[in-house]
Amino acid sequence: MPPAPDSGSFVTLAADNRRVFGALRQWFDPEKTESVGQTPDYRFSLANERTFLAWIRTGLALIAGGLACAQFLPPLPIEHLREGIAIALLVLGGVVALRAVDHWARTERAMRMGTDLPASRFPAVLAIVVALGALLLVIAVLMRAAR
Amino acid sequence: MTTEWTPDHGASAERTRLAWRRTVLSAAAVGLLAVRPAFAPHAGASAVLVAAAAMAAWAALTALAYGRARGLAGHPPRPARRTITAYASITIGLAVLGGLVVLM
Repeated sequence: MPPAPDSGSFVTLAADNRRVFGALRQWFDPEKTESVGQTPDYRFSLANERTFLAWIRTGLALIAGGLACAQFLPPLPIEHLREGIAIALLVLGGVVALRAVDHWARTERAMRMGTDLPASRFPAVLAIVVALGALLLVIAVLMRAAR
Repeated sequence: MTTEWTPDHGASAERTRLAWRRTVLSAAAVGLLAVRPAFAPHAGASAVLVAAAAMAAWAALTALAYGRARGLAGHPPRPARRTITAYASITIGLAVLGGLVVLM
């Protein structure tokens, strides 16, 4: 059956699906999907791999921080605040790991295609989130000291 | 593969191997923190189960890193491919396990 004239949204949906699954396939098998372009200098790929590992360590540190909060902080004056901080850190760690693999795959692809490396606002966003968290904790500590 | 071998004057393979090792050490810290509640007095079965899962995840991460170290020893080093995705997935799994530890 030929597509109805107003099937534009279906076409976009299919394109969206392809893009999403393309990105997923790229994560799991970057070599196979990328018969495009050519294999870059192995030293560039290893640098990309080390960047990925540095991000994974950042994520693991956030996860460890969340677990440490839950286990070593005394109960805080606001109910469940301790658990909230812990969960926030754990979620942040998971997001960092997810974004690390996505960025690695996109960089690998860019190197194969010889295009610009992907730009990212994520480091700035993460820095601001961490700074805001630290600021909140400083305020909490000062309020406690003043009491 | 008939890739031409460029001498590794920047020691990039060794630096990458050490980066994997550092990452495994970080994962060990997370694993130990996730296992700790299981050793509290009167720990429930759920704490023990989560601890077992965390230890399995940590063992998997260590095995992946050692496999990758073997891949890095080649001339030229083999590409990482799925090791990277598996590593990130297991790390996310550890975050989920950590959430269970917190909520228990």
